[in-house]
Amino acid sequence: MKHGGSVLGRCRYLLKDATKAEDAMHDVFARALTHGEDFRAESSPLTWLMKIATHHCLNQLRGERAGWRQWFERDAAARPEGHGGQEAMETRDLVRRLLARVDVETQAAAIHYHVDGMTLEEVAALLGRSVPTIRKRLEHFAALGGEELKVP
Amino acid sequence: MSAHESEWTLRRLSAGELAATEAARVQAHAASCEACAQALRGIHEAQARFEADVPFERFEAGVEQALRRQRDAARPPPRRWVATTVAIAASLLVVVLVRPLLGSSAESGDTGGLNRLKGGATAELRIGGGLGPQREAIPGRPEAIEPGERVMLGYKAGTHRYVAALSVDAIGEVTPLHPEDGASAPVASGGRQHWLPGGWEFTGSGAERVIVVLSDEPLPQETLVEAARRAFAQADGDVERMDELEVPGAQTHWVLRKP
Repeated sequence: MKHGGSVLGRCRYLLKDATKAEDAMHDVFARALTHGEDFRAESSPLTWLMKIATHHCLNQLRGERAGWRQWFERDAAARPEGHGGQEAMETRDLVRRLLARVDVETQAAAIHYHVDGMTLEEVAALLGRSVPTIRKRLEHFAALGGEELKVP
Repeated sequence: MSAHESEWTLRRLSAGELAATEAARVQAHAASCEACAQALRGIHEAQARFEADVPFERFEAGVEQALRRQRDAARPPPRRWVATTVAIAASLLVVVLVRPLLGSSAESGDTGGLNRLKGGATAELRIGGGLGPQREAIPGRPEAIEPGERVMLGYKAGTHRYVAALSVDAIGEVTPLHPEDGASAPVASGGRQHWLPGGWEFTGSGAERVIVVLSDEPLPQETLVEAARRAFAQADGDVERMDELEVPGAQTHWVLRKP
């Protein structure tokens, strides 16, 4: 349960629906139980759970018919997860609005980098890609958005 | 370098995942930095809200229900597949429809497009039965399918003696296709191309990976399902990026994109 807040926050951020988010969170923890070996082998269970939660929700959105359209129509009152003041909230919201325009790997990279605040190296390790590849994907993502998404 | 700790570092501190020296450094920083202290409080408050909103009993019941859902999804659910009798009828239609295509390649001796495997084996996935043209899916090149289209799987066993087929959908649900349970089936006799009985209609949306495994020994479907789940997890839950299953034998993968 100690990672529940983080996982539920990720599911709410992406699915923008409280009930779907809680179901998704249950799915993520169920997967942690069925993949117990992988989960226990992780030096950071939080990283494993957040990766699975992110992929699970992105897959769910892709799997829903007209998912992204419905996603945009969902109640915008779904508050972006996290903290860090108005500027950070706006960045998270911007990231979320741009997700539908990129492939799934760029989506995951953008979420882990801009929302989780991971470093390029951490995102690259998590997604099993090289740092230059992740940088390239994030630069492509930034080109869709604004100054605040630029990768230093 | 940022003057503040990243949210990820603070989240890992809160989860107790930082090494002692790193944890002490971050804690010391947060003690003297209001922005990071506030961020850390935000993380603690989110966890406290979660624990208040979702009591352990509800959490536990929800996870158990999800486990049951995942287990049920691993079996062939009727909603995803045409019923056996319908499948047999449908397969007759598909066989009739694909015969001219099969004939044209077989008669000309042209096996281009077939996936060649070790030991003289080949495997083939044909799509048909819908409004679109009959066509063959190529391994490594995702193929879009339309509503109502069915899939047939063919193989030439070469030196292999057993065959099995399964599929994995976008959320990692693994479904044995042939046989539906037990171990992989003995291959049909004769060196020509054979088609697995029945046809499959993949409903829902998103990607679906279809896998045929030819082996020298019978492989239990449970072993294949577990191997598929591992490969899905190793691909970070992206069914389009899965590697080969860690099982003996020769295997062919296709990715279909459902409407």
